[in-house]
Amino acid sequence: MLNQLLFDLALWLDAQQWSTDLHESYYVYNWVESTHVLTLIIFLGMLVVIDLRMLGYIFKDVPVSKVAERLDKPMMFGFAVMVVTGFLLYYAIPVRTTTSIWFRIKVVLLIAAGINALLLRNITKQENLSWDNDPVPPRRVRISGGLSIAFWAGVIMTGRMIAYDWWDCHKAMPGFMYWAAGCVNELAELD
Amino acid sequence: MDLLFLFEWIDTSMLAEISKAYGGVFAVVQTFHLGAMVLLGGMILVGDLRLLNITMSDIPAPVVLKNTERWVGYALVAIVLSGIFMMSAVAIKLYYNVFFLSKMVGLFMGVCFFYLIRKPLLNGDHSELNPWSIKIIAVTSILIWFSVAASGRWIGFS
Repeated sequence: MLNQLLFDLALWLDAQQWSTDLHESYYVYNWVESTHVLTLIIFLGMLVVIDLRMLGYIFKDVPVSKVAERLDKPMMFGFAVMVVTGFLLYYAIPVRTTTSIWFRIKVVLLIAAGINALLLRNITKQENLSWDNDPVPPRRVRISGGLSIAFWAGVIMTGRMIAYDWWDCHKAMPGFMYWAAGCVNELAELD
Repeated sequence: MDLLFLFEWIDTSMLAEISKAYGGVFAVVQTFHLGAMVLLGGMILVGDLRLLNITMSDIPAPVVLKNTERWVGYALVAIVLSGIFMMSAVAIKLYYNVFFLSKMVGLFMGVCFFYLIRKPLLNGDHSELNPWSIKIIAVTSILIWFSVAASGRWIGFS
């Protein structure tokens, strides 16, 4: 049901002339992709500094909140551009991206990273940052910082893997993989 | 000096056999390369943005640089090691690729600039330096590393 809905949406986007133009434009598409990667460096570069501070590996003499607040603006700038270029990249190749198992795992990891960030925000609110000046924050904060790095490393990996066609719909795969990747036509053929 | 022999040697090395035969291993190493780039970019940017007074302006610049410099070293080691592995898969092709050459020149300039200019010059007392010199160092650093990342991305498109 959801697979069919996403596939239909992808087909609708794919039928638009702008999607084709964007995909077929050598310079525009490649610059959008380059900007996506470069702003990923800005966003994740800032985030990794904050996460390493939460793990107690860097800026031990500087309060955690100070590091996070000061890097928030450049980080969010990188995030905003990354999201916009990410949507454009999806818009340029909607069908293949929607039916990519790597893209789907990437989206799940993005959601997991978001939930982790929200949970950490709750922890810091509840505890009123009593550990703010600690060179090495408490275990739960370190776990959150470690999870953040792990989730985002997964996002980088799966994002990179989208380019490979190992598990594209046209390949022979078990039925479960067709379902997980959203290969609705291949699933229908199996039925 | 023609370095084709070096690329030919890498192309026939055991490293190349692995990188060409195992696409999965190549992809994982590629991920490490990208991750190390994120680490390098983050640490360089935090330092340079501090030198430009754009962020962390209430934390002394030497403190910011001291904290980030160590990680730049780690990231560079990871970038070079993973980069050599990735290069071995398409060594001959890269020899003739202008973006690869541009990236290597940029990387060389970036490493030299970091270890021979930025680090020794800014490890001392910043009050002895002309504020404009500090800003020029930061902008130059950002431009060099941007060129490395951008030309690296364009290797894949050419």
